[in-house]
Amino acid sequence: MDLTFHGITKRFGSVTAVEDFTLTAAPGEFVVLLGPSGCGKSTLLRIAAGLETPDAGAVRMGGRDITRAEPKDRDLAMVFQSYALYPHMTVAENIAYPLRIRGRPASEIDAEVRALAERLGLDGLLDRLPRALSGGQRQRVALARAIIRRPKAFLMDEPLSNLDARLRLEMRAELKHLQRELSTVTLYVTHDQAEAMTLAHRIAVIDRGRLLQYDTPWNIYHRPANLFVAGFLGSPPMNFFDHGEVILGVRPEDIEVSREAQPDWQPARVWVVEEMGNESFVVLHAGDTRVTVRVPAGARFDLDQPVWFRAAPGKTHRFDPKTTEALG
Amino acid sequence: MKTAWKYALAALALALALAPVYWLVTISIKKELDQFAYPPLWWNFAPTLEHYRDAFGARSFGRFLANSALVAAGSTLAALLLGVPAAYGLARFRWERLSFWILSTRMLPPIVTIVPLFLMLREARLLNSLLGLGLLYTAFNLPFVIWMMRGFFDEVPVELEEAARLDGDSRLGALVRVVLPIVRPGLAATAVFCAIVAWNEFLFALILTQTEAAATLPVGIASRVTQYEIKWGAMSAAGVVAMAPVLAFAAAAQKYLVRGLSLGAVKG
Repeated sequence: MDLTFHGITKRFGSVTAVEDFTLTAAPGEFVVLLGPSGCGKSTLLRIAAGLETPDAGAVRMGGRDITRAEPKDRDLAMVFQSYALYPHMTVAENIAYPLRIRGRPASEIDAEVRALAERLGLDGLLDRLPRALSGGQRQRVALARAIIRRPKAFLMDEPLSNLDARLRLEMRAELKHLQRELSTVTLYVTHDQAEAMTLAHRIAVIDRGRLLQYDTPWNIYHRPANLFVAGFLGSPPMNFFDHGEVILGVRPEDIEVSREAQPDWQPARVWVVEEMGNESFVVLHAGDTRVTVRVPAGARFDLDQPVWFRAAPGKTHRFDPKTTEALG
Repeated sequence: MKTAWKYALAALALALALAPVYWLVTISIKKELDQFAYPPLWWNFAPTLEHYRDAFGARSFGRFLANSALVAAGSTLAALLLGVPAAYGLARFRWERLSFWILSTRMLPPIVTIVPLFLMLREARLLNSLLGLGLLYTAFNLPFVIWMMRGFFDEVPVELEEAARLDGDSRLGALVRVVLPIVRPGLAATAVFCAIVAWNEFLFALILTQTEAAATLPVGIASRVTQYEIKWGAMSAAGVVAMAPVLAFAAAAQKYLVRGLSLGAVKG
Protein backbone atom coordinates (compact mmCIF):
# COMPACT_ATOMS: atom_id res chain seq x y z
CA MET A 1 0.00 0.00 0.00
CA ASP A 2 1.54 3.33 -1.02
CA LEU A 3 0.86 6.69 0.63
CA THR A 4 0.85 9.94 -1.31
CA PHE A 5 0.65 13.62 -0.45
CA HIS A 6 -0.45 15.56 -3.49
CA GLY A 7 -0.08 19.36 -3.47
CA ILE A 8 -0.88 19.67 0.24
CA THR A 9 -1.21 23.19 1.66
CA LYS A 10 -2.20 23.87 5.25
CA ARG A 11 -2.54 27.26 6.94
CA PHE A 12 -3.16 28.06 10.59
CA GLY A 13 -4.51 31.60 10.60
CA SER A 14 -1.90 33.67 8.77
CA VAL A 15 0.83 31.04 9.19
CA THR A 16 1.43 28.65 6.32
CA ALA A 17 2.52 25.40 7.95
CA VAL A 18 2.78 23.34 4.76
CA GLU A 19 2.93 24.61 1.20
CA ASP A 20 2.28 22.67 -1.99
CA PHE A 21 3.78 19.49 -0.61
CA THR A 22 3.96 16.43 -2.83
CA LEU A 23 5.56 13.12 -1.88
CA THR A 24 4.94 9.42 -2.44
CA ALA A 25 5.96 6.68 -0.04
CA ALA A 26 6.19 3.38 -1.89
CA PRO A 27 4.65 0.16 -0.48
CA GLY A 28 6.72 -1.08 2.47
CA GLU A 29 8.92 2.00 2.43
CA PHE A 30 10.25 3.70 5.56
CA VAL A 31 10.09 7.44 4.89
CA VAL A 32 11.49 9.91 7.41
CA LEU A 33 10.20 13.47 7.42
CA LEU A 34 13.19 15.42 8.69
CA GLY A 35 13.37 19.09 9.55
CA PRO A 36 13.82 21.63 12.33
CA SER A 37 10.99 22.13 14.81
CA GLY A 38 8.12 24.09 13.35
CA CYS A 39 8.93 23.09 9.76
CA GLY A 40 5.52 21.48 9.24
CA LYS A 41 6.53 17.82 9.42
CA SER A 42 4.19 17.02 12.31
CA THR A 43 1.36 18.82 10.54
CA LEU A 44 1.91 16.54 7.53
CA LEU A 45 1.74 13.49 9.75
CA ARG A 46 -1.49 14.74 11.33
CA ILE A 47 -2.92 15.35 7.86
CA ALA A 48 -2.05 11.79 6.91
CA ALA A 49 -3.72 10.62 10.13
CA GLY A 50 -6.88 12.61 9.48
CA LEU A 51 -6.44 14.73 12.60
CA GLU A 52 -6.06 17.84 10.40
CA THR A 53 -7.71 18.63 7.09
CA PRO A 54 -5.53 20.31 4.43
CA ASP A 55 -6.66 23.59 2.86
CA ALA A 56 -5.63 22.29 -0.55
CA GLY A 57 -4.36 19.04 -1.99
CA ALA A 58 -5.14 15.39 -1.42
CA VAL A 59 -3.88 12.41 0.56
CA ARG A 60 -4.12 9.07 -1.21
CA MET A 61 -3.54 5.59 0.05
CA GLY A 62 -3.35 2.74 -2.41
CA GLY A 63 -4.94 5.04 -4.97
CA ARG A 64 -7.93 5.84 -2.74
CA ASP A 65 -8.49 9.50 -1.80
CA ILE A 66 -8.61 9.65 2.00
CA THR A 67 -8.20 13.44 2.39
CA ARG A 68 -11.47 13.82 4.23
CA ALA A 69 -11.88 10.34 5.70
CA GLU A 70 -12.30 9.98 9.46
CA PRO A 71 -9.16 8.78 11.28
CA LYS A 72 -10.91 5.53 12.24
CA ASP A 73 -11.69 4.74 8.60
CA ARG A 74 -8.10 5.10 7.38
CA ASP A 75 -6.67 1.98 8.98
CA LEU A 76 -3.45 3.74 9.97
CA ALA A 77 -1.70 3.34 13.29
CA MET A 78 0.08 6.19 14.98
CA VAL A 79 2.76 6.20 17.65
CA PHE A 80 2.89 9.46 19.57
CA GLN A 81 5.87 11.18 21.14
CA SER A 82 4.13 10.94 24.51
CA TYR A 83 3.05 7.33 23.68
CA ALA A 84 -0.57 8.32 24.53
CA LEU A 85 -1.19 5.10 26.45
CA TYR A 86 -4.63 4.92 28.04
CA PRO A 87 -3.80 5.52 31.70
CA HIS A 88 -6.83 3.67 33.09
CA MET A 89 -6.20 0.48 31.12
CA THR A 90 -3.65 -2.24 31.79
CA VAL A 91 -0.93 -3.03 29.29
CA ALA A 92 -3.03 -5.90 27.93
CA GLU A 93 -6.10 -3.68 27.60
CA ASN A 94 -4.07 -0.98 25.89
CA ILE A 95 -2.71 -3.39 23.31
CA ALA A 96 -6.11 -5.03 22.84
CA TYR A 97 -8.00 -1.77 22.37
CA PRO A 98 -7.78 -1.57 18.53
CA LEU A 99 -9.05 -5.14 18.26
CA ARG A 100 -11.75 -4.65 20.87
CA ILE A 101 -13.12 -1.63 18.95
CA ARG A 102 -13.39 -3.86 15.90
CA GLY A 103 -15.46 -6.35 17.87
CA ARG A 104 -13.10 -9.28 17.61
CA PRO A 105 -13.91 -12.22 19.93
CA ALA A 106 -12.23 -12.00 23.33
CA SER A 107 -10.41 -15.34 23.08
CA GLU A 108 -8.85 -14.37 19.76
CA ILE A 109 -7.80 -10.95 21.12
CA ASP A 110 -6.26 -12.56 24.18
CA ALA A 111 -4.17 -14.95 22.11
CA GLU A 112 -2.92 -12.20 19.81
CA VAL A 113 -2.06 -9.87 22.69
CA ARG A 114 -0.08 -12.62 24.39
CA ALA A 115 1.82 -13.55 21.25
CA LEU A 116 2.71 -9.94 20.46
CA ALA A 117 3.65 -9.14 24.05
CA GLU A 118 6.05 -12.02 24.06
CA ARG A 119 7.60 -10.89 20.81
CA LEU A 120 8.15 -7.37 22.17
CA GLY A 121 9.38 -8.51 25.58
CA LEU A 122 6.27 -7.34 27.40
CA ASP A 123 5.13 -10.66 28.83
CA GLY A 124 4.93 -10.38 32.59
CA LEU A 125 3.85 -6.74 32.33
CA LEU A 126 0.40 -7.36 30.88
CA ASP A 127 -1.49 -6.62 34.10
CA ARG A 128 0.38 -3.42 34.91
CA LEU A 129 -0.95 0.09 34.41
CA PRO A 130 1.10 2.38 32.16
CA ARG A 131 2.24 4.53 35.09
CA ALA A 132 4.05 1.50 36.55
CA LEU A 133 6.18 1.11 33.41
CA SER A 134 9.57 2.56 32.46
CA GLY A 135 9.92 4.80 29.43
CA GLY A 136 11.24 1.99 27.25
CA GLN A 137 8.41 -0.33 28.29
CA ARG A 138 5.80 2.35 27.53
CA GLN A 139 7.38 2.75 24.13
CA ARG A 140 7.02 -0.96 23.47
CA VAL A 141 3.38 -0.95 24.55
CA ALA A 142 2.71 1.93 22.18
CA LEU A 143 4.38 -0.03 19.38
CA ALA A 144 2.44 -3.16 20.23
CA ARG A 145 -0.83 -1.24 20.16
CA ALA A 146 0.09 0.11 16.73
CA ILE A 147 1.17 -3.25 15.32
CA ILE A 148 -1.50 -5.58 16.63
CA ARG A 149 -4.14 -4.95 13.99
CA ARG A 150 -1.64 -4.89 11.09
CA PRO A 151 -2.61 -1.47 9.74
CA LYS A 152 -1.98 -0.32 6.19
CA ALA A 153 0.57 2.27 7.34
CA PHE A 154 2.44 3.44 10.43
CA LEU A 155 2.71 7.07 11.42
CA MET A 156 5.34 7.88 14.03
CA ASP A 157 5.80 11.28 15.63
CA GLU A 158 9.25 11.48 17.24
CA PRO A 159 8.63 8.17 19.02
CA LEU A 160 12.14 7.89 20.45
CA SER A 161 12.69 11.43 21.69
CA ASN A 162 11.47 10.77 25.24
CA LEU A 163 13.96 7.95 25.82
CA ASP A 164 17.43 8.33 27.28
CA ALA A 165 20.34 8.19 24.84
CA ARG A 166 21.25 4.53 25.27
CA LEU A 167 17.71 3.21 25.11
CA ARG A 168 17.08 5.38 22.08
CA LEU A 169 19.82 3.62 20.12
CA GLU A 170 18.51 0.24 21.18
CA MET A 171 14.91 1.03 20.24
CA ARG A 172 16.06 2.62 16.98
CA ALA A 173 17.58 -0.67 15.87
CA GLU A 174 14.53 -2.63 17.04
CA LEU A 175 12.20 -0.29 15.24
CA LYS A 176 14.13 -0.66 12.00
CA HIS A 177 14.18 -4.44 12.27
CA LEU A 178 10.46 -4.53 13.05
CA GLN A 179 9.55 -2.28 10.13
CA ARG A 180 11.62 -4.32 7.66
CA GLU A 181 9.98 -7.47 9.00
CA LEU A 182 6.42 -6.12 8.76
CA SER A 183 7.15 -4.32 5.51
CA THR A 184 4.44 -1.77 6.16
CA VAL A 185 4.77 1.73 4.71
CA THR A 186 5.90 4.07 7.50
CA LEU A 187 6.02 7.84 7.86
CA TYR A 188 8.37 8.83 10.63
CA VAL A 189 8.77 12.40 11.85
CA THR A 190 11.97 13.51 13.56
CA HIS A 191 14.39 16.41 13.87
CA ASP A 192 17.22 13.98 14.67
CA GLN A 193 19.43 13.45 11.62
CA ALA A 194 20.98 10.28 13.06
CA GLU A 195 17.51 8.69 13.30
CA ALA A 196 16.73 9.82 9.77
CA MET A 197 19.99 8.46 8.32
CA THR A 198 19.80 5.11 10.08
CA LEU A 199 16.09 4.33 9.74
CA ALA A 200 14.98 5.64 6.39
CA HIS A 201 14.77 4.12 2.97
CA ARG A 202 14.23 7.70 1.86
CA ILE A 203 14.47 10.99 3.75
CA ALA A 204 12.27 14.00 3.01
CA VAL A 205 14.03 17.15 4.23
CA ILE A 206 11.50 19.84 5.04
CA ASP A 207 11.97 23.47 5.93
CA ARG A 208 9.27 26.09 6.40
CA GLY A 209 6.57 23.81 5.05
CA ARG A 210 8.38 22.98 1.81
CA LEU A 211 9.96 19.77 0.60
CA LEU A 212 13.62 20.57 -0.10
CA GLN A 213 14.90 17.15 -1.07
CA TYR A 214 13.50 13.63 -1.10
CA ASP A 215 16.09 10.94 -1.61
CA THR A 216 18.01 8.05 -0.06
CA PRO A 217 20.13 8.81 3.03
CA TRP A 218 23.26 8.31 0.91
CA ASN A 219 22.22 10.85 -1.70
CA ILE A 220 20.92 13.31 0.89
CA TYR A 221 24.31 13.25 2.57
CA HIS A 222 26.58 13.03 -0.48
CA ARG A 223 24.51 14.97 -3.00
CA PRO A 224 22.59 17.63 -1.08
CA ALA A 225 20.28 19.50 -3.44
CA ASN A 226 20.65 22.86 -1.75
CA LEU A 227 22.36 24.83 1.00
CA PHE A 228 19.78 23.98 3.66
CA VAL A 229 20.02 20.22 3.20
CA ALA A 230 23.82 20.45 3.03
CA GLY A 231 23.95 22.36 6.31
CA PHE A 232 21.23 20.45 8.13
CA LEU A 233 22.69 16.96 7.76
CA GLY A 234 26.12 16.11 9.04
CA SER A 235 27.57 16.51 12.49
CA PRO A 236 29.57 18.65 12.78
CA PRO A 237 27.97 20.47 9.85
CA MET A 238 29.46 21.18 6.43
CA ASN A 239 31.92 24.08 6.11
CA PHE A 240 30.81 26.82 3.74
CA PHE A 241 33.13 29.21 1.90
CA ASP A 242 31.54 32.24 0.24
CA HIS A 243 33.26 33.08 -3.04
CA GLY A 244 30.82 35.71 -4.26
CA GLU A 245 29.27 34.08 -7.33
CA VAL A 246 29.44 30.61 -5.77
CA ILE A 247 29.31 29.10 -2.27
CA LEU A 248 31.58 26.13 -1.74
CA GLY A 249 30.67 23.45 0.79
CA VAL A 250 33.10 20.88 2.20
CA ARG A 251 32.31 18.31 4.88
CA PRO A 252 34.71 18.13 7.86
CA GLU A 253 35.91 14.67 6.78
CA ASP A 254 36.74 16.00 3.30
CA ILE A 255 39.24 18.60 4.47
CA GLU A 256 42.92 17.71 4.50
CA VAL A 257 45.15 19.35 7.03
CA SER A 258 48.95 19.54 7.23
CA ARG A 259 51.43 20.81 9.80
CA GLU A 260 53.79 21.99 7.04
CA ALA A 261 53.20 24.57 4.35
CA GLN A 262 52.03 23.08 1.00
CA PRO A 263 51.68 24.89 -2.30
CA ASP A 264 48.07 26.15 -2.88
CA TRP A 265 46.97 25.10 0.63
CA GLN A 266 45.46 27.76 2.85
CA PRO A 267 47.16 28.80 6.10
CA ALA A 268 45.20 28.74 9.37
CA ARG A 269 45.64 28.40 13.12
CA VAL A 270 44.21 25.77 15.45
CA TRP A 271 41.47 27.32 17.54
CA VAL A 272 40.18 24.31 19.48
CA VAL A 273 40.49 20.52 19.45
CA GLU A 274 37.49 18.35 20.41
CA GLU A 275 38.36 14.75 21.12
CA MET A 276 35.55 12.24 20.71
CA GLY A 277 37.55 9.12 21.52
CA ASN A 278 37.26 7.39 18.16
CA GLU A 279 37.98 10.59 16.23
CA SER A 280 38.65 14.28 16.84
CA PHE A 281 37.35 17.56 15.47
CA VAL A 282 39.83 20.36 14.96
CA VAL A 283 38.39 23.83 14.53
CA LEU A 284 40.66 26.18 12.56
CA HIS A 285 40.59 29.93 12.15
CA ALA A 286 41.61 31.09 8.69
CA GLY A 287 41.24 34.85 8.79
CA ASP A 288 37.54 35.41 9.55
CA THR A 289 36.35 31.95 8.57
CA ARG A 290 36.03 29.04 10.94
CA VAL A 291 36.68 25.59 9.50
CA THR A 292 35.92 22.27 11.18
CA VAL A 293 38.09 19.29 10.24
CA ARG A 294 37.58 15.66 11.19
CA VAL A 295 40.87 13.93 11.99
CA PRO A 296 41.66 10.39 13.18
CA ALA A 297 41.85 9.73 16.92
CA GLY A 298 45.33 10.36 18.28
CA ALA A 299 46.28 13.07 15.75
CA ARG A 300 48.10 15.71 17.78
CA PHE A 301 47.28 19.37 17.33
CA ASP A 302 48.12 22.18 19.76
CA LEU A 303 46.27 25.40 20.38
CA ASP A 304 47.31 28.24 18.10
CA GLN A 305 49.54 25.93 16.09
CA PRO A 306 49.91 27.10 12.44
CA VAL A 307 48.51 24.58 9.93
CA TRP A 308 47.62 24.42 6.21
CA PHE A 309 44.42 22.94 4.76
CA ARG A 310 42.56 22.26 1.52
CA ALA A 311 39.40 20.52 0.33
CA ALA A 312 40.08 16.98 -0.80
CA PRO A 313 39.97 16.88 -4.60
CA GLY A 314 36.48 16.19 -5.98
CA LYS A 315 34.84 16.56 -2.56
CA THR A 316 33.58 20.11 -2.93
CA HIS A 317 29.86 20.95 -3.21
CA ARG A 318 28.94 24.07 -5.17
CA PHE A 319 25.84 26.18 -4.47
CA ASP A 320 24.29 29.19 -6.16
CA PRO A 321 24.21 31.96 -3.49
CA LYS A 322 21.00 33.47 -4.98
CA THR A 323 18.80 30.37 -5.38
CA THR A 324 20.76 28.33 -2.74
CA GLU A 325 20.42 25.37 -5.14
CA ALA A 326 23.32 23.01 -5.81
CA LEU A 327 25.25 23.66 -9.04
CA GLY A 328 26.00 20.66 -11.28
CA MET B 1 6.98 20.32 67.10
CA LYS B 2 5.75 21.42 63.72
CA THR B 3 3.51 18.36 63.50
CA ALA B 4 2.11 19.11 66.95
CA TRP B 5 1.07 22.56 65.78
CA LYS B 6 -0.47 21.10 62.67
CA TYR B 7 -2.54 18.66 64.69
CA ALA B 8 -3.58 21.36 67.15
CA LEU B 9 -4.77 23.58 64.30
CA ALA B 10 -6.57 20.70 62.64
CA ALA B 11 -8.27 19.86 65.94
CA LEU B 12 -9.36 23.46 66.36
CA ALA B 13 -10.78 23.62 62.83
CA LEU B 14 -12.54 20.32 63.38
CA ALA B 15 -14.03 21.49 66.68
CA LEU B 16 -15.32 24.68 65.05
CA ALA B 17 -16.84 22.78 62.16
CA LEU B 18 -18.35 20.01 64.26
CA ALA B 19 -19.67 22.08 67.20
CA PRO B 20 -23.03 22.86 65.55
CA VAL B 21 -23.35 19.23 64.50
CA TYR B 22 -22.67 18.10 68.05
CA TRP B 23 -25.29 20.53 69.32
CA LEU B 24 -27.79 19.30 66.72
CA VAL B 25 -27.23 15.67 67.61
CA THR B 26 -27.43 16.23 71.40
CA ILE B 27 -30.57 18.39 71.11
CA SER B 28 -32.20 15.60 69.14
CA ILE B 29 -31.74 13.17 72.04
CA LYS B 30 -32.35 15.52 74.98
CA LYS B 31 -35.60 15.79 76.83
CA GLU B 32 -37.30 19.12 76.25
CA LEU B 33 -36.41 20.33 79.74
CA ASP B 34 -32.72 19.57 79.25
CA GLN B 35 -32.63 21.39 75.92
CA PHE B 36 -32.95 24.76 77.64
CA ALA B 37 -30.93 24.02 80.79
CA TYR B 38 -28.49 26.73 81.78
CA PRO B 39 -25.56 26.25 81.98
CA PRO B 40 -25.98 23.89 78.98
CA LEU B 41 -25.78 20.15 79.57
CA TRP B 42 -22.94 19.08 77.28
CA TRP B 43 -23.05 15.39 78.01
CA ASN B 44 -24.60 14.55 81.38
CA PHE B 45 -28.24 14.21 80.40
CA ALA B 46 -30.53 11.24 80.07
CA PRO B 47 -30.89 10.47 76.33
CA THR B 48 -34.28 9.89 74.77
CA LEU B 49 -35.54 8.87 71.37
CA GLU B 50 -38.92 10.56 71.73
CA HIS B 51 -38.06 13.30 69.22
CA TYR B 52 -37.19 10.71 66.59
CA ARG B 53 -40.53 9.02 67.21
CA ASP B 54 -42.13 12.44 66.91
CA ALA B 55 -40.32 13.30 63.70
CA PHE B 56 -40.85 9.96 61.98
CA GLY B 57 -44.35 9.71 63.31
CA ALA B 58 -45.36 12.95 61.69
CA ARG B 59 -47.64 12.34 58.76
CA SER B 60 -45.42 13.53 55.96
CA PHE B 61 -41.88 12.85 57.06
CA GLY B 62 -41.42 9.87 54.77
CA ARG B 63 -42.92 11.88 51.98
CA PHE B 64 -40.47 14.73 52.50
CA LEU B 65 -37.56 12.32 52.56
CA ALA B 66 -38.66 10.66 49.34
CA ASN B 67 -39.28 14.02 47.66
CA SER B 68 -35.82 15.24 48.58
CA ALA B 69 -34.16 12.07 47.38
CA LEU B 70 -36.07 12.17 44.11
CA VAL B 71 -35.34 15.84 43.40
CA ALA B 72 -31.68 15.58 44.40
CA ALA B 73 -31.05 12.43 42.36
CA GLY B 74 -33.09 13.56 39.37
CA SER B 75 -31.64 17.05 39.14
CA THR B 76 -28.08 15.78 39.62
CA LEU B 77 -28.51 13.23 36.88
CA ALA B 78 -30.09 15.76 34.54
CA ALA B 79 -27.39 18.37 35.22
CA LEU B 80 -24.68 15.80 34.50
CA LEU B 81 -26.38 14.55 31.34
CA LEU B 82 -26.61 18.08 29.97
CA GLY B 83 -23.48 19.55 31.50
CA VAL B 84 -20.88 16.86 30.77
CA PRO B 85 -21.25 16.98 26.96
CA ALA B 86 -21.30 20.79 27.11
CA ALA B 87 -18.15 20.84 29.21
CA TYR B 88 -16.45 18.43 26.82
CA GLY B 89 -17.36 20.65 23.88
CA LEU B 90 -16.05 23.74 25.64
CA ALA B 91 -12.82 22.00 26.59
CA ARG B 92 -12.08 20.62 23.12
CA PHE B 93 -13.28 23.48 20.93
CA ARG B 94 -12.28 27.02 21.84
CA TRP B 95 -15.31 29.05 22.83
CA GLU B 96 -13.93 31.26 25.60
CA ARG B 97 -16.74 33.80 25.51
CA LEU B 98 -19.40 31.16 25.75
CA SER B 99 -17.78 29.67 28.85
CA PHE B 100 -17.76 33.06 30.51
CA TRP B 101 -21.36 33.63 29.59
CA ILE B 102 -22.31 30.31 31.15
CA LEU B 103 -20.57 31.23 34.38
CA SER B 104 -22.20 34.64 34.39
CA THR B 105 -25.53 33.02 35.26
CA ARG B 106 -24.02 32.32 38.67
CA MET B 107 -23.06 35.91 39.27
CA LEU B 108 -26.36 37.30 40.47
CA PRO B 109 -27.84 36.42 43.84
CA PRO B 110 -30.37 33.65 43.15
CA ILE B 111 -33.05 35.36 45.23
CA VAL B 112 -33.53 38.10 42.62
CA THR B 113 -34.82 35.48 40.20
CA ILE B 114 -37.48 34.15 42.50
CA VAL B 115 -40.37 36.33 41.38
CA PRO B 116 -39.96 35.70 37.64
CA LEU B 117 -39.34 32.01 38.37
CA PHE B 118 -42.48 31.84 40.46
CA LEU B 119 -44.51 33.37 37.63
CA MET B 120 -42.95 31.15 35.00
CA LEU B 121 -43.53 27.97 36.97
CA ARG B 122 -47.10 29.05 37.69
CA GLU B 123 -47.78 29.55 33.97
CA ALA B 124 -46.22 26.18 33.23
CA ARG B 125 -48.35 24.63 35.99
CA LEU B 126 -45.18 23.43 37.71
CA LEU B 127 -45.69 25.10 41.07
CA ASN B 128 -45.95 22.60 43.91
CA SER B 129 -44.38 19.95 41.72
CA LEU B 130 -41.21 17.95 42.06
CA LEU B 131 -40.66 18.30 38.34
CA GLY B 132 -40.62 22.09 38.62
CA LEU B 133 -38.25 22.04 41.55
CA GLY B 134 -36.03 19.48 39.84
CA LEU B 135 -35.86 21.57 36.68
CA LEU B 136 -34.83 24.55 38.76
CA TYR B 137 -32.08 22.68 40.57
CA THR B 138 -30.86 21.30 37.26
CA ALA B 139 -30.61 24.85 35.97
CA PHE B 140 -28.76 25.97 39.11
CA ASN B 141 -26.27 23.14 38.93
CA LEU B 142 -25.72 23.18 35.20
CA PRO B 143 -23.15 26.03 35.08
CA PHE B 144 -21.37 24.45 38.02
CA VAL B 145 -21.20 21.07 36.27
CA ILE B 146 -19.97 22.67 33.06
CA TRP B 147 -17.22 24.61 34.78
CA MET B 148 -16.06 21.78 37.00
CA MET B 149 -16.06 19.21 34.22
CA ARG B 150 -14.45 21.55 31.73
CA GLY B 151 -11.51 21.79 34.10
CA PHE B 152 -11.27 18.01 34.32
CA PHE B 153 -11.57 17.55 30.55
CA ASP B 154 -8.85 20.15 30.04
CA GLU B 155 -6.52 17.93 32.03
CA VAL B 156 -6.94 14.97 29.68
CA PRO B 157 -4.32 15.14 26.91
CA VAL B 158 -5.92 15.49 23.49
CA GLU B 159 -3.45 12.91 22.21
CA LEU B 160 -5.29 10.17 24.11
CA GLU B 161 -8.42 10.86 22.11
CA GLU B 162 -6.47 11.15 18.89
CA ALA B 163 -4.85 7.81 19.64
CA ALA B 164 -8.26 6.25 20.25
CA ARG B 165 -9.63 7.66 17.00
CA LEU B 166 -6.68 6.29 15.06
CA ASP B 167 -7.08 2.97 16.84
CA GLY B 168 -10.47 2.81 15.18
CA ASP B 169 -12.83 4.56 17.56
CA SER B 170 -15.26 7.35 16.73
CA ARG B 171 -15.10 10.69 18.55
CA LEU B 172 -18.03 9.61 20.71
CA GLY B 173 -16.48 6.20 21.34
CA ALA B 174 -13.22 7.85 22.39
CA LEU B 175 -15.16 10.06 24.78
CA VAL B 176 -17.02 7.12 26.33
CA ARG B 177 -14.20 4.57 26.43
CA VAL B 178 -11.16 6.75 27.05
CA VAL B 179 -11.98 10.23 28.31
CA LEU B 180 -14.90 9.58 30.67
CA PRO B 181 -13.17 6.76 32.58
CA ILE B 182 -10.19 9.07 33.12
CA VAL B 183 -12.31 11.91 34.51
CA ARG B 184 -14.41 9.56 36.68
CA PRO B 185 -13.06 11.07 39.94
CA GLY B 186 -14.08 14.51 38.71
CA LEU B 187 -17.45 13.18 37.69
CA ALA B 188 -18.00 11.74 41.17
CA ALA B 189 -16.91 14.95 42.90
CA THR B 190 -19.20 17.03 40.71
CA ALA B 191 -22.14 14.70 41.30
CA VAL B 192 -21.67 14.85 45.08
CA PHE B 193 -21.63 18.65 45.07
CA CYS B 194 -24.74 18.85 42.89
CA ALA B 195 -26.62 16.36 45.04
CA ILE B 196 -25.71 18.23 48.23
CA VAL B 197 -26.84 21.57 46.80
CA ALA B 198 -30.19 20.10 45.73
CA TRP B 199 -30.64 18.14 48.96
CA ASN B 200 -30.02 21.16 51.18
CA GLU B 201 -31.73 23.87 49.14
CA PHE B 202 -34.33 25.65 51.24
CA LEU B 203 -35.32 29.06 49.91
CA PHE B 204 -36.69 28.12 46.50
CA ALA B 205 -38.25 24.95 47.81
CA LEU B 206 -40.05 26.95 50.50
CA ILE B 207 -41.48 29.50 48.08
CA LEU B 208 -42.26 27.23 45.14
CA THR B 209 -43.83 24.32 47.03
CA GLN B 210 -46.71 25.09 49.28
CA THR B 211 -48.24 21.66 49.54
CA GLU B 212 -46.92 18.79 51.62
CA ALA B 213 -47.05 16.56 48.56
CA ALA B 214 -44.21 18.45 46.90
CA ALA B 215 -42.25 19.76 49.88
CA THR B 216 -38.67 18.63 50.42
CA LEU B 217 -37.00 17.76 53.70
CA PRO B 218 -35.61 21.23 54.56
CA VAL B 219 -39.07 22.72 54.06
CA GLY B 220 -40.62 19.89 56.03
CA ILE B 221 -38.23 20.43 58.91
CA ALA B 222 -38.93 24.15 58.96
CA SER B 223 -42.65 23.44 59.11
CA ARG B 224 -42.15 22.29 62.70
CA VAL B 225 -41.82 25.97 63.53
CA THR B 226 -45.48 26.63 64.14
CA GLN B 227 -47.57 29.50 65.34
CA TYR B 228 -47.66 28.07 68.85
CA GLU B 229 -44.35 26.33 69.41
CA ILE B 230 -41.00 25.50 67.94
CA LYS B 231 -40.34 21.78 68.06
CA TRP B 232 -36.60 21.92 68.54
CA GLY B 233 -36.26 18.25 69.36
CA ALA B 234 -38.20 17.00 66.36
CA MET B 235 -36.46 19.46 64.07
CA SER B 236 -33.06 18.37 65.32
CA ALA B 237 -33.97 14.72 64.92
CA ALA B 238 -35.10 15.38 61.36
CA GLY B 239 -31.92 17.38 60.77
CA VAL B 240 -29.77 14.46 61.87
CA VAL B 241 -31.68 12.16 59.56
CA ALA B 242 -31.33 14.66 56.70
CA MET B 243 -27.60 14.81 57.26
CA ALA B 244 -27.11 11.05 57.16
CA PRO B 245 -27.49 10.36 53.42
CA VAL B 246 -25.17 13.24 52.50
CA LEU B 247 -22.56 11.92 54.93
CA ALA B 248 -22.90 8.41 53.57
CA PHE B 249 -22.67 9.67 49.98
CA ALA B 250 -19.63 11.81 50.71
CA ALA B 251 -17.93 8.97 52.60
CA ALA B 252 -18.53 6.58 49.72
CA ALA B 253 -17.17 9.09 47.22
CA GLN B 254 -14.38 10.34 49.47
CA LYS B 255 -11.59 8.66 47.57
CA TYR B 256 -12.91 10.25 44.37
CA LEU B 257 -13.53 13.61 46.05
CA VAL B 258 -9.96 13.98 47.20
CA ARG B 259 -8.58 12.77 43.89
CA GLY B 260 -11.08 14.86 41.98
CA LEU B 261 -10.21 18.06 43.75
CA SER B 262 -6.49 17.50 43.34
CA LEU B 263 -6.60 16.02 39.84
CA GLY B 264 -3.93 17.61 37.72
CA ALA B 265 -1.99 18.81 40.75
CA VAL B 266 0.16 15.71 40.46
CA LYS B 267 1.40 14.48 37.12
CA GLY B 268 0.67 10.78 36.90
